[in-house]
Formats: sequence, C-alpha cells, structure tokens
Amino acid sequence: MTNSIAEFEGADCIFIIGSNTTVAHPLIATRIYRAKKNGAKIIVADPRRVHISEVADVYVQQKMGTDVALINGIMNVILEAGWHDQAFIDERTEDFEKFRKVVAAFPPEKAAEVCGVSADDIRAIAEIYGRADKASLVYCMGITQHTTGVDNVKSLANLAMLTGNLGKESCGVNPLRGQNNVQGACDMGGLPNVFTAYQPVTSSAAAEKFARAWGVESLSTMVGMTIPAMLEGLEGGTVKAMYVLGENPVVSDPDVNHVKKALEKAELLVVQDIFLTATAELADVVLPGVSFAEKDGTFSNTERRVSRVRQAVTPAGEARQDWWIIQEISRRFGYAMDYASPQAIFDEMTTLTPSYGGMTYERLEGDGLQWPCPTSDHPGTRFLHKDKVARGKGLFHAIAYQPPAEVVDAEYPLWLSTGRVFAHYHTGTMTRNSPTLDAEIEEGFLELSAEDATQLGIADGEWVTLSSRRGSIEVRAMVTKRISVGSVFMPFHFIESCANVVTNPAHDPICKIPELKVCAVRVEKSARTS
Amino acid sequence: MIDVIRDKVKELLDSGEIKGFLGLVRKNGHIAPHLFQQGDDLSLMSLGDDKVAGDARYPLNKFLINLAKAYPEETFAVLVRGCDDRGLQTLYTWNQLNPKKVVPVGITCPQELADACECAKPFPAVITAGECAQPGTPRSVAAVDALVMSERFSYWMDEFVKCIKCYGCSNVCPMCFCNECTLKCNDLVKGGELPPEIPVFHHTRAMHMVGRCIDCGLCEEACPSNIPLRTLYKKVGSIMEEQFDFTTGAVRGQRSPLNKIDFAEGRK
Amino acid sequence: MGAPINYRTVLTTCTYCGCGCNFFLEVLDGKVIGTIPCKTSPVNEGKLCIKGWNVHEFVQHEKRLKTPLLRKNGKLEEVSWDEALDFTATRLRQIKESSGPDSIGFLTSAKVTNEENYLLQKFARAAVGTNNIDHCARL
Repeated sequence: MTNSIAEFEGADCIFIIGSNTTVAHPLIATRIYRAKKNGAKIIVADPRRVHISEVADVYVQQKMGTDVALINGIMNVILEAGWHDQAFIDERTEDFEKFRKVVAAFPPEKAAEVCGVSADDIRAIAEIYGRADKASLVYCMGITQHTTGVDNVKSLANLAMLTGNLGKESCGVNPLRGQNNVQGACDMGGLPNVFTAYQPVTSSAAAEKFARAWGVESLSTMVGMTIPAMLEGLEGGTVKAMYVLGENPVVSDPDVNHVKKALEKAELLVVQDIFLTATAELADVVLPGVSFAEKDGTFSNTERRVSRVRQAVTPAGEARQDWWIIQEISRRFGYAMDYASPQAIFDEMTTLTPSYGGMTYERLEGDGLQWPCPTSDHPGTRFLHKDKVARGKGLFHAIAYQPPAEVVDAEYPLWLSTGRVFAHYHTGTMTRNSPTLDAEIEEGFLELSAEDATQLGIADGEWVTLSSRRGSIEVRAMVTKRISVGSVFMPFHFIESCANVVTNPAHDPICKIPELKVCAVRVEKSARTS
Repeated sequence: MIDVIRDKVKELLDSGEIKGFLGLVRKNGHIAPHLFQQGDDLSLMSLGDDKVAGDARYPLNKFLINLAKAYPEETFAVLVRGCDDRGLQTLYTWNQLNPKKVVPVGITCPQELADACECAKPFPAVITAGECAQPGTPRSVAAVDALVMSERFSYWMDEFVKCIKCYGCSNVCPMCFCNECTLKCNDLVKGGELPPEIPVFHHTRAMHMVGRCIDCGLCEEACPSNIPLRTLYKKVGSIMEEQFDFTTGAVRGQRSPLNKIDFAEGRK
Repeated sequence: MGAPINYRTVLTTCTYCGCGCNFFLEVLDGKVIGTIPCKTSPVNEGKLCIKGWNVHEFVQHEKRLKTPLLRKNGKLEEVSWDEALDFTATRLRQIKESSGPDSIGFLTSAKVTNEENYLLQKFARAAVGTNNIDHCARL
C-alpha cells in the first residue's frame, strides 16, 4: 500500500475494485465502514456482489477480465470533464500525452460495451472519484490475478496520477496483501530477481555487496526462476530438486494436476511445514517447523508495518524452529551459519536492507515501524511518494484492453472465478484444523445464479460436475444472487473440491501471475447425491 | 489511584490471601491483561487508561473464569470497575465463579468515562481507590427511539448488514459462558453466510443478553463493523428495568426474570 | 505459597491475512487457550475477524507434524533430526554438483517470518548459488 490502513478513515472517496474486503481483509473493511460514516463515498466494482458492496454508494458488476476497459472509460470521463490534476501531471509525471491518446479513444459508451457497466454508471464513478479531494484506491487479487494483471495495476496507477491522488494522506494506490507476511517475503528477497529491499540481483554492485557480507566469492547475477518456471523446469528435467518452505502448491496453484505431476518428477522434494499438507505427502523428506505461536521474529503487513511475533508456547514434539532447520541444513551443506536467535538474523538483515536499516527489535516495541525506515532516528513512513514519486517521475502507461486468455465458448460456456470465504484461509492448512472455523464452513461450494441453475436443472445444495480444459471436480451448488448470469464462483480452500484443478495457469507475461480469477468452465448435474 | 491499588495488591499477595491478582500491565509498549503473582514487579501495573480513560479495558472476569476452572482451590483478586462488579455478581449467580475464591479490587471510573459509557453506576460496591462519579446520562437509546419506526428499522438493518460474523461480541463478553452457543445453531442462524442472516443473528444475541448484559461495552469496542451493539443491549436492559424492575448484577442471586416468565412471576 | 501459576498473555501478530492484527495469546500451563485482540494496536484497535479470534485453535492440534519424516521404500517414515538434515544437505549437495546450482529451486513462504525468509534466500544464493527462489506472492 502506498498509504496506511488508518488513513482510509480520512478519505472522501474509496474506490474498491477486485477486493472482497470484508472477507479477505476484514480489519481494513472496518476502516472503510468508518470512512463511510465520516462521509466518504464508497465505490465498489466487482463481477461478484461481494459483501462490501452493501455499503457502496455506487456498485457496478463488470464482466470478468474487463477492468482495463472500465478504468479507461472512467479516465476518459475525468479528462473530458476536466477533473484531472494538471499541476500534478505536469510536475510529477511523464508520458502523459501517449496515455491521453489511448484513453481519448475509450469513451464510456465503448467501455460499457466491453465491461458491461452502463455508461451512466461509469460517469457516476468518474465524477465521485474525479472530484474527490482525497480519493483512495483499494484493490486485491481481483485486479492482479489476470494475464493482464500488470496492465490492470498500471491502469489504477494511471487513475491515481491523473487525479493527483498520490503522495498525500488518505489517497494512493492500495493493494491489500493477502498473506500475513507476503510483504515481508518480498522485502526479504524471496523473489528470483531481487535481494532484500528490491536490490536487483543483476546489479553487480548489489551482488558484490551481498557476496562480501555473506563471505562468498561471488553471487549469481542471473535472474532465477519463478514458480511457474520451476514447475516447467521440473517437467523438462532442468530442475531436479525443490525445497518448499511453508507452501502448499498442490492446492494453491492453478491447474494442480499439472503441479502434482511436475513435483512428482523431482529427484528431491524437501517440504518444511507444520501439517502434513498435500504437498508434504509427495515429499522425500518432511521437516516439521513451527507455527507463528511458537516462534520469535517479525512480520511485515500490507501497510509496510513491521511487527513483532513472539513465542507463546513451546513447539509440539520434536518440531524445531524454522530458522534453526535452515541453519542446520546450510551448515551440513558446507556453508556455515551461526545465529543464536532470530534477533541476530534481523540485525544482520537490517545492515543489508536500506528500507529496514533503522529498525531494531527494541524499536519495534509498541506500534512497530513502517518502511522505509533507513536510520535509527527515522520514525518510519506512513505514506509513500510524498513530494516526489519514488522513481523520480510517475510514469503514465498507455494501456489498451485485452481479453482474458480463455474466453467462454459452446463447450465451456460459463465464466469461473475463485476466491476466499470469511471463515477460511488459503489452502485451509490452518483454518480447516480449527474446530470453530471448520464448523462454520465445512465444505466447498459452487455459486451460480438462479437463472443458470434453472436452465441446468440444478437445485441449491445438489452436486454438480465442474469442468474446464484442465480437469473436472464434483462440488455442491449454491444458488445465489451474488453472482451474475453466465458466471460461477467457488472458494479454493477445499481440497476435496479443489478449485485449482480447473483454473487456468496462463499467466501475465511480465509478473507471471496466473489468471486464477477467470477461466471458461462447464457445469453439469452430477450423479452424486452425498 | 494506582498507588493505592498497588499497595492493596502487594498486601494481598504478601499475606498469602490470594494466589494472584488479575489486572493490567504495561509491556511491549502496550497494555496487556496480566496475572500478578508473588514477587512480581508491580511498578508496571496499569488501570487500562492508554490515550483516554478506560480505552484499554479487557474482560478480566472472563480470564478469571479460565483460571478458576483450572485452579478451583485458589483465590484470585481481580481489578473491577462498576460494570465488572455487576459482572461478578451475575457470574456468582450463575455459578460460574465462587465468591469465596474471588477478591475484588475496586476502582471507580472518572466522570468522562462514566459519561461516555452512559453508565448507571460507574463504581463498584466496594471501592479500593477513587472517587465516585455521577451516573452518565442515557442518550443513545433515546436517540434511536426518537426515530419513526421505518427509520428505526432501516437504522438497525443498515448497521447489521455490515456484520462480518467474527463473533467478537460474544467472544469478548464476560457474560457469554454457555457451552453451546445459539448463534452457532444452524437451525436458528444459518452458518457460513456473510452477513449472517439479519436481523436474526443480532436479535438472537440481544435476546440472550436479557438479564445477562452488565453494560460494560466491550462488545461494541470489539466490533470490527462499528455496530452500536451497546445501544441495542442498553435498550434490552431498559425494557427489563421498566417492565420487571430488574437490573442485571444489582443483586447477587437474582436471576433474569425471563427465567421465570413461564410462571408469570417477576412482573411489576 | 506453592509454585506460581504459569499464566501468560503474549502479544504477537496474526498469521492469516496481510492486515497484520495484533493480539494476545492466552497461555495457561503451556496450552494456548485463547486469543484476545490488542486494544492499543494501531492496526486492529481491539477488534478481530473470525479467523483471528480462533487462531489459537490450530496451534496445538493433534495433527501437527512432530517428527521429521523420510521416504523409505516409497513410504514416509519417522526419522531422527540428524538423519533428516544429513539426508537433505547431502542430496542438495549431490544435485548441485551433478546438475549445477540452477537445478535446485526454493519456495520460500509468505507464512514464515522475515528472519526465516532472509535466511532461506541467503542459503539459496550464498550456499547453493542460485537465484531460483520465489514464493506465493501471486496467489
């Protein structure tokens, strides 16, 4: 997030697109509710009538995978009406003219044809967002998990820059990060192209700095493989071994049948986790790590706030601290590591990580610190891009609409999207082992509209077969008004009805994010009755 | 005020009268529920005032139930305000705590907190420290009652629809001690839905607060959807007072009149 | 007086979504028995969602992994830490030597701490010599 969670309360307009906020980020929904009470206008755009839409001043149901068209339409209206912030554009951005031409060719009527939102609604959104003093954008995986994920995000950045809603309080572009420490995993260099704090591995200066600190002669300056590339490598035989720490790709990744086949090809599969997940079941060696309640350390949340994690109980059985396991493997592998505690690791990390440079465990007591926090007297940073966009000038991107990788046809006539439910989390490793949460929602379901259900001869609660080009699964139908005619939705937490058997692994060419939010499927009545 | 409490706790611990004192402590830059035991540093004790009076109150009685269940032979002291004291009386009445094993250490609430809570009795029966404030003036119930019926209906429906079904209202409530919770009974409130069926979910809980709610306000403070739950339960409480002359926790041993309603007893 | 009761409240950060709510885990005699949201947290201000309120429930679940497992004759069998760690380190070493460092891939985790993420990427880059490290940021 460019801005902070508490700042939502001060916004005049919050535009939520592709985020099921009350379900996936409930405590951010709290701030949106408060903003509403403080007089903010709430706009929600989502192909599914998500819970947060109940408080929306304007709710629109765009077709799946048409976000660029919708946003371009909104920006067209803003430009036509003169609600853009010319001073901000002149001073803080570049490449505006190229962008203007693309958007000029996208009047609301044309956008409406593509995205299914009426031109009037597009105008209404443009007016509320465009005329607000402080407008905040909120998005989540509904924007990013597309083959056009990068385009979608850039379009939102365009919208914020066009109206000068960047670099000031209660504005900004605010992606909600889905996992407790996905921000931290990225910050810590858990990516194939960067060291900590996004220092590129291709930079010889960065590589030299880390090589020196880590006591090795040199480090690879070649960008490594992303998850999809590793899976392809396993299949093609170039990747022989996988070390999986606390992840469950056999349930979480698109087209899981394919993922499973790839992992089965590994000569060595090491899985370090807290439960015997579906991925761990395939492993050659399973290393029992510990949960958050049994360890010390830090997590970095979606607003870049680094908070302490403190050990409450001792690990079960012979389970060991995850850092200890990595250190022991490294030592036995032939590379010495000798940390006494997570704090010692943190202290080394901050010397190599400018945005965390001023942090210590002592300073994290209380409210924690939000990066960038480069020096020991720096108070941390509530919102980014103040006075100046971080890269120098904010870059406008001219973005044309592109359809999803897979579109409906006679054989697979329905659009499928996937997501979360309020009582469960990701692959269910933790929540499905929580009796209260399990009792709340015990099994998966497929949401479909009453019209589609009638046409297919399916009643609420009946079993259906859901198929795509990747595979098929059995799941119970839930007939609901939440989803529009021609579309279906299902949660991905439940391995017995694993949504990711059918999802499409096609991914964004730049960031490699898979198109989990849209693919083409067929639904049929199943013979199964219980 | 805190020095008096510290001295009292020290005396109770030193004399061996109590095993521990359930109160609040400043640690990790926050205020935390804490069990002070003999030899513990009492200097970091807090009364639950962080930025404003009473903004870091916790359901200490609820934690006390956990401790008492595990250590039924031990006596514990607990920090109580007026609302907590009503809570203790009610928990004694419902056999959730043994009064012989509990030593209340009472503090009064300052006028600003009494006013904010619209508290009818912002001090406990036995006061260890502090001056009694005047009862807060009730306003919130009257403000909603002043709406015409259709507006009142939409007021509540607009609030309830925001519910994210965290069950925080129940989880934090020192009076929610049932082993089986009606809110989790599928026949009454269908599971798995967001928002939970409205208004059934909130009405069911409101009904269960009859004769139970001690007006501590922790539910509303815990509500991520900012639903004015306290107003709802205050309304329920005001009906009990008007119709049955019953105030929860005012008299030990006096159970909710709804327990007697089948017998047509208790009506004024 | 007898021994003190082992009752503690431990302030920590939630393991579920990216909000990063702070709460106390209530611990009695080594068992985590409850979760209570931290009132003074700048993130959640004393509130939680259903997942947060029940986060203590899975921690000491009977199905938690308690021993290292190694596949022998096609089946995962319980082994000692020494055996599991030696096996892992040796096989990684062999594969690096026979097929090169880029034949090894690492999935680090959005679930583990910053310290653990830092350490695994350090192991991948400094020890194994590959940048093949990724995690589920896109999921």
